[in-house]
Amino acid sequence: MLLQLNNIFKWVQQGGQRVFLLKDINLEVEDGEFISIMGPSGSGKSTLLNVIGMLDTFDEGEYDFLNESVHTLKEKYRSNLYKEYIGFVFQSYHLLDELTVEENLEMPLLYKKVKGSERKALVADMLDRFNIVGKKDLFPTQLSGGQQQLVGVARALIGKPKLILADEPTGNLNSQQSEEIMELFQNLNKEDGVTIIQVTHSEKNAEYGSRILNLLDGRKI
Amino acid sequence: MLRNYLKIAFRTIWKNKVFSIINILGLSIGLSAAFVIGAMVVYDLSFDKFHPGGDRIYRVTTAFKSPDGDFYNAGVTVPLAQALKDLNMEELETVAPFFTTYPLFVENQETGNRFKNPEFVIYTEPSFFQTFKYDWLAGDAQSALEEPNNVVLSEERAKKYFPNQDLDDILGKSVVYNDTIPAKISGIVANFKDRTDIVFEEFISLKTAATQDMTNAVYEANWNNTNSASQLFIKLSEKTDPTKVQKTLTQIAKEHDEPEMVAVVRSNTYNIQPLADIHLNPDYGTFDFSESRTTISALKSLLLLATILVLLGCINFINLNTAQAMQRAKEIGIRKTLGSSRRQLIFQFLGETFLLTLAATLLSVLLAKWLVHLFSDFIPEGLSFELFWNPLIIIGMAVMVLVVTLFSGFYPALVLSKYKPVSVFKQQVIPNSDKGTLRKYLTIFQFVIAQVFIIATLLVGKQLNYVMKKDMGFKTEAIAYFKTPWRDTSATKRARFVREMEDLPGISKVVLSGNPPASFSTMSMGALFVDGEKEVNSDIQLLYGNAHFFNLYDLKLVAGRMPLNDSIREYVVNTSYLKVLGISNPENVVGKAIRADNENSPIVGVMNDFNQHSLKYGVAPMAFTGGSYNGKWTQFRTIHFKLESLDTNDWSSSIAQIETIWKAIYPDADFEYNFMDDTVKKFYEKEQKTSILLQWATGLAILISCLGLLGLVIHTTERRTKEIGVRKILGASIFQLNLLLSKDFLKLVLIAFLIATPIAWYGLTYWLEGFANKTILSWWIFTLSGFAMVMIALLIMSIKIIASANTNPVKSLRTE
Repeated sequence: MLLQLNNIFKWVQQGGQRVFLLKDINLEVEDGEFISIMGPSGSGKSTLLNVIGMLDTFDEGEYDFLNESVHTLKEKYRSNLYKEYIGFVFQSYHLLDELTVEENLEMPLLYKKVKGSERKALVADMLDRFNIVGKKDLFPTQLSGGQQQLVGVARALIGKPKLILADEPTGNLNSQQSEEIMELFQNLNKEDGVTIIQVTHSEKNAEYGSRILNLLDGRKI
Repeated sequence: MLRNYLKIAFRTIWKNKVFSIINILGLSIGLSAAFVIGAMVVYDLSFDKFHPGGDRIYRVTTAFKSPDGDFYNAGVTVPLAQALKDLNMEELETVAPFFTTYPLFVENQETGNRFKNPEFVIYTEPSFFQTFKYDWLAGDAQSALEEPNNVVLSEERAKKYFPNQDLDDILGKSVVYNDTIPAKISGIVANFKDRTDIVFEEFISLKTAATQDMTNAVYEANWNNTNSASQLFIKLSEKTDPTKVQKTLTQIAKEHDEPEMVAVVRSNTYNIQPLADIHLNPDYGTFDFSESRTTISALKSLLLLATILVLLGCINFINLNTAQAMQRAKEIGIRKTLGSSRRQLIFQFLGETFLLTLAATLLSVLLAKWLVHLFSDFIPEGLSFELFWNPLIIIGMAVMVLVVTLFSGFYPALVLSKYKPVSVFKQQVIPNSDKGTLRKYLTIFQFVIAQVFIIATLLVGKQLNYVMKKDMGFKTEAIAYFKTPWRDTSATKRARFVREMEDLPGISKVVLSGNPPASFSTMSMGALFVDGEKEVNSDIQLLYGNAHFFNLYDLKLVAGRMPLNDSIREYVVNTSYLKVLGISNPENVVGKAIRADNENSPIVGVMNDFNQHSLKYGVAPMAFTGGSYNGKWTQFRTIHFKLESLDTNDWSSSIAQIETIWKAIYPDADFEYNFMDDTVKKFYEKEQKTSILLQWATGLAILISCLGLLGLVIHTTERRTKEIGVRKILGASIFQLNLLLSKDFLKLVLIAFLIATPIAWYGLTYWLEGFANKTILSWWIFTLSGFAMVMIALLIMSIKIIASANTNPVKSLRTE
């Protein structure tokens, strides 16, 4: 088992009342799954994804990731954990505008303290695999949205994560671009066995996944 | 990783060119001032550090205590040296008395070459060379000064007097001082290579002075007379407690106190002054009078100034970087999700700050070179730009770079690295958490400083104007004077000079008298006023002159009459003396007597007060009297004259004619004259320097603060581009937009004004206390400087605001 959420609650205080963002979420994710989280705006999809990605905290419940109980870990170990095993893909790509494609890809490896020669090889591999060798010296603003997201996915993959978390990865893309990205995810899942959890509004995209999780007002339905 | 950081740092710096330039400029201005001031400190603290056992060398000096205050003299009574030697104290390794002397000329008789006014000549004993170790190029330290009529020359002097000769050949040759004192060259020492105040070049054996004394000080060997020409160095034995020596000296001073002086609470004590203290202690001075010395307190205020300027630059940094946090927030979020720890981020941002600081430092070194040139009046002559390669300064710069980096980079780094990726991506972090409170405080701080400087500059300028324009109490216009050579005692020559000058056209009055009414040299005596039972003891300044002198300077007699002639001692006292005596009616004092030098002399008149020195000081009690001629010595050695024309262009021909007469009568001496107006101006040299320095400090403080303000305004207007566009579409005028956007900043400037006013008022009141005559700290100074600050701030802000208000709103809205 990759991760397990038990009775996760997350709330904020608003006017003396608790407003629940997540309410009693239980979730088990096995290696190699492809899960789509769906639901209307404000239902807690992104919050759940952030909790899984350890970017956000929760107020109650237990979270085990690879048999480590995340809720008891210190910030530093938690960041080591997600640095090692999790890759993020964002709706608005979140590439660093000051760095070239190649340098953007290199960055996660720098934080993982991968050696220079190995880093070069990994980056070259990735550029090759995504067919963006010709674009390696361009800056993100010089690319189209689809290409930027391609770089975003490549960056998420370069650290060889077990889990990819994608928050509406195709939200800013046109239909053709989104199809390409979704097919890419499917291939990764099937051929490389990478676990993927995505948040999406689109039924069509959700169908690429093996399992759909519906949320409403912070609850699983 | 480092390369990645550097890359992103360079690209970020490049992308935000305007902000980077503001940061770098502001910092480099502060830093360059700091470096120049640092170099001055290093320069001034590096004197006389090289003498072997230098920490054991002390100068013995004299402090006089009297009811009128303390006075200091670098000299000691002549018998003190012998008294110390006779004690044979084991604490003392050497006792080295010496006498400074100023020969008129020295002649190499072989060639007949005469050298006028050789400087840094002393009479001394072999012990001087045991105290200070010189490198002997010829002769030796033990025997060189044993015999009378021997002289040791420095290498430079030897080469000057005996050009193109081997040093060994020079040994044994002779020079003659003042035509009468022959001296055989018995040794040649190398000049000190390092910075030193021990600047002596010619050392005549003290035994020479037994018969041929040029100082009149050597054999005035009594305990009552302290002449600054008679000085004394001592070197303590190793591991000696200096307080023991001090105790002995205090004891000796007590033994030789005169009972009459003690009766009027006057005494003198001997103090030991460490060699290291000589350079910066203005009480006792050094041996080279040509250069004005820095003092510790001046260095301290300069250091404060440097700190303030650097601080202002750092504040720009903090302000602009935290203001720009939004632009960096995304990067921070991304880096954190990719696994960056907070510490790594802090290092990254500090690295960027470091790069900017480094750039600022490099720029500041260039600026410093220019500053050294610009401030040559304030900077000691020996300090050149080459001093910047001194390892101490380079280390100082490196430390400075690190300190500035930490100081200006740490807080922004802390703020930036705190952002949580989730909140950044949700875009909820900025509006709530960044109220910019700290930025406001820092901006206020900057403007308080700038405002205080503006107020100070205005007031110092006003005070300077006031004292320089104020009536001294006597005429100064078109009056000049010059001193006849003091060694030439011939009264007939002086009389001839006056006669010949009287014949010159363009000169209306010529008077031979003492010093002018206001000058740098003062004569004073202790005076006892006796009126029946009443006795008043005080110091009184003396002014030597006659009725013509009185009229030339338009001094005013309020009671009695002038002294009858030069040979009778009669006094005309000023009204300030009456105040000391507690007598209000001037008529009551006429006919009474003053007792001085065991002689009663009558007061024959009372004159109006006038200022004898800078208006910084009040009017001292003064007595006007005749020349006290004693056959050989007279006070009447200065010739005063008034030019007929008030047009300065006509003066040079008269001066040239006087110079011709001078050359005929005193061919050996140089003609130096002073206009009374210039002398008065010279009283305020220090204040004028302060004023100029303040103007610069003000300019720089305003510049740095306004750079920062400009940066903040650019930042806000850019953030509010959309708002500006919307408002414009709704019909706001440029003026309204300008008001809207500058309102917040103007508020800060006004708060700064409110804080600065009491600070400036307090500081300036304190400064004005130092002046006996002070201008009023008028309200308009504050209003005017506040107004000036607001106008400057408005101007700076308008540049950017008007530009962005003028852009087409459609354009700004489309890009949103």
